[in-house]
Amino acid sequence: MKKRMGLPKAYLVFLLLAMYLPIVLVVIYSFNVSKLSSVWTGTTLNWYRALFRDRDMFEALRNSLVLATVSSCAAAVIGTLGAFGASRVKLPFSGSMEYLSMLPIMIPEIILGMVFLAFFSLIGLPFGMTTLIIAHTAFNIPYVFLMVKARLAGFDNSLYDAARDLGAGEVRTFLDITLPLIFPAILSGMLLSFAMSFDDVIISVFVTGVNTNTLPIKIYSQIKTGVTPKTNALCSLLFAATVLLGFLSVIASRGGKRQKNKKTEE
Amino acid sequence: MKKVLALILSLALIAALAVGCAPKPTEPAVSPDASDPTPPEAGGTLTLYTWEGMFPEEIIAGFEAETGITVNYAVFDTDETMLTKLETAKGGDYDLVIADDYIIELAVGAGLVQKLDKSKLSNYGNINPIYQGQFYDPADEYTVPYGAGVQTIVFDPNFVDIPVSGYADLLDPSFKDSVGVIGNYRVINGLALKILGYSYNTENLDEIDAAGAKLLELAPNIRVIKDDSLENDLISGEITAAVMYTSQVTAALLERPDLAVVYPAEGIGFGVMGSFIPSQAPNAEAAYKFLDYILDAQRGAECFEWLGYYSTFSASDAYISDEYKPFLTLPAEFGETEMIGNVSDEALQKHELIWTAFRDAAGK
Amino acid sequence: MNRGRRRSSVIAVLPMYLFTLAFVLGPLIYMLFLSFESRSGQWGVTADFTLRNYTRIAEPLFMKTFWNSTKLALISTVFVLLIGYPFGYFMARLSKKWRSVCMLLLIIPFWTSALMRLYGWIIFFRANGVLDTLLMKIGLIDRPLKLLYSYPSVVVGMVYVLLPFMIYSVYASAEKLDWRLVEAARDLGASRFGAFRTVSLPLTAPGIFSGVILTFVPSMGLYFLADILGGNKTILVGNLIYEQLMKIHDWPFAAAISVVLLLLTSIFLFAYRRITKSDLEGLV
Repeated sequence: MKKRMGLPKAYLVFLLLAMYLPIVLVVIYSFNVSKLSSVWTGTTLNWYRALFRDRDMFEALRNSLVLATVSSCAAAVIGTLGAFGASRVKLPFSGSMEYLSMLPIMIPEIILGMVFLAFFSLIGLPFGMTTLIIAHTAFNIPYVFLMVKARLAGFDNSLYDAARDLGAGEVRTFLDITLPLIFPAILSGMLLSFAMSFDDVIISVFVTGVNTNTLPIKIYSQIKTGVTPKTNALCSLLFAATVLLGFLSVIASRGGKRQKNKKTEE
Repeated sequence: MKKVLALILSLALIAALAVGCAPKPTEPAVSPDASDPTPPEAGGTLTLYTWEGMFPEEIIAGFEAETGITVNYAVFDTDETMLTKLETAKGGDYDLVIADDYIIELAVGAGLVQKLDKSKLSNYGNINPIYQGQFYDPADEYTVPYGAGVQTIVFDPNFVDIPVSGYADLLDPSFKDSVGVIGNYRVINGLALKILGYSYNTENLDEIDAAGAKLLELAPNIRVIKDDSLENDLISGEITAAVMYTSQVTAALLERPDLAVVYPAEGIGFGVMGSFIPSQAPNAEAAYKFLDYILDAQRGAECFEWLGYYSTFSASDAYISDEYKPFLTLPAEFGETEMIGNVSDEALQKHELIWTAFRDAAGK
Repeated sequence: MNRGRRRSSVIAVLPMYLFTLAFVLGPLIYMLFLSFESRSGQWGVTADFTLRNYTRIAEPLFMKTFWNSTKLALISTVFVLLIGYPFGYFMARLSKKWRSVCMLLLIIPFWTSALMRLYGWIIFFRANGVLDTLLMKIGLIDRPLKLLYSYPSVVVGMVYVLLPFMIYSVYASAEKLDWRLVEAARDLGASRFGAFRTVSLPLTAPGIFSGVILTFVPSMGLYFLADILGGNKTILVGNLIYEQLMKIHDWPFAAAISVVLLLLTSIFLFAYRRITKSDLEGLV
């Protein structure tokens, strides 16, 4: 078949460009001398210098990193075990339980923010990193769970049974057989939930405490109170870091594939 | 089971490593139940809770250097958010709050504010008495005023051809889709009340309803409603006229001296911001130290220049530079002012309703 | 069945179920309770039973807010579908190498702060900003378009933020598509469009469904978009809830609005599950 892909390709390129347009603008204006994004008055690196002096901003970045890391790891453990267990045993109500567990990503975020705000103040849990972590774990579990579940669905049970027949314990079998097979799914679930958590503003606004401004909350309040190019500078650096990570992961996965290929050749 | 534990531990380790990569932690972020009732030893932390950008960096840094206290600057977007958070914290968590007059009255009423021990404020005498004894704190027991202002109309004469003397002129069709207003509903609903000749604090529901109808006339002219950085929209030409706070007027005029300022003929809304120490402040001592630090005449002047509101410390007036002087001291020219106070629940609910209807109409 | 296997499986699901009971079901039940209570004075909640919060929602102003939100969500979803579907579809037809490049390029903006990307649109849209200057230079317009703080800019923001979800969903189902079927249809004399309509479209329908859900549901709650790009004039259900909670302090009313919103979205989710009998595609 001869594929005519000229027009479609142009469309893909055009839309990708449109997606990057606002990011590029943000990066460009991080070098603007003027505080206002409406006028261009010359180039400077001063905003980057100002950024490195801004303790609050780093504090917020640190909070966001802690939050995203802890909540995505917690979700990875809970979600993976959940998907693993659910794939092998049918409990009464397990259907509704599963539906409930997935609810946090199915409903508009604002509802989640509202219920957490009300609930945490009801049980008297002080607002801060703990409440943030609980809330973020709640909406991170579904990502890991769904990924791992999909992976397990195409999973051949005979390997597992063989291992059991050979006398391996439950835990041992899980760690030696199941875990390596579902690891890519766990990893992508974790990455996705890390990204969601790192970027969340709606839920965080409701459950954050005194010492725990996260980066998105900080950016949100700055957009409202007037962004200085310092914020642009921060986002540019984060963007650069993301691009770098993206390419590193590509290189890493290529490396991994090559090794795998080698192994099969042997 | 051990291996599961090992797995969890190693995940936790990864988390810890990621944390380690971040800039140095100043304190443990997670301390949910590590309730330490012991007062923090010298130094410690001052948790300041106010809007973004209320103090210049130098003041905060200077205070930290002088006292060894670390300032933790927490921000809220509106007074109401502050009250929600303060209420959920039962008057704890925060050491010093700066917010608007009317909300302070509510906070005091809810028992969330502690009385000031003025013996700890050696510079207390620097406060301008004009700003004392106000409705929210009639006996000056709870607050130190920090900045005051009025709501003013500012417009760009390059784009506006009609004479503007008051709020009523903003209803002119020539302003179609070009007016920006601040997002405080009592102020904007009040603007309509003023056009009709009523008080900001009327509890007569018919008057508020009438104001609502007036607002609908204003709605087609509204381009944007927001509390923060409205001046940027005026400077950039996004809007040609705005109703805004003193600090925004100061910022706008410093950038664009050609903008025109009008003190509305219908009457002027006047407001004071006050600082108070919450009832269960974890480190009230630090709050006193900070208050006394900014009450210093010269530092006060620095703060007000940064803030752009009228100086509430008379001792600071002398230190305000000539560039800022016209903006930061109370102009003599305007006559009648009225402060926005708290009104009955029914009136408030009516206000909410006409405000929502106004915004909805503006979105058409 | 093996007893040990059953026991270990139960132990494995337990953390998730307990977490869900404590932190999803618990809060939701509390929200339901709250929605029948009433606000006391400026502050707090009185524990009684009243339907007043629900009857208040029936007031024309609030009904209108619900309708406006639904309308905006529908408009955004239609645009997202029209723009995102071809992207996901074409992407699935690329060679393997280009597909992963494309995926990477899609993921990078996704990892960049959504707020900051929206701020980029502000720079683009604002009066005498990038777009205005550009159009004035080439002489298409002679004065600023006043796009910022308008309804269209809210729609652009909405579409922009939600587009990736649609693309992933469509891509996920188009990738599984057996292209030989399309060829076969062409060989049998179907036109290019005919083949698409009879073969590709039905086979990628699950992706469309899940993409629609993934864009429609969140778009009901993205209150900050109306704030930042809409100049605070477009009031969505999300804004209503946020304001009732944080500004007006009528928690029971906020809870009631949330319950209604939850019911509304549940209807969509339920319909989705009935139609496709599966989890959301494209999420995975």
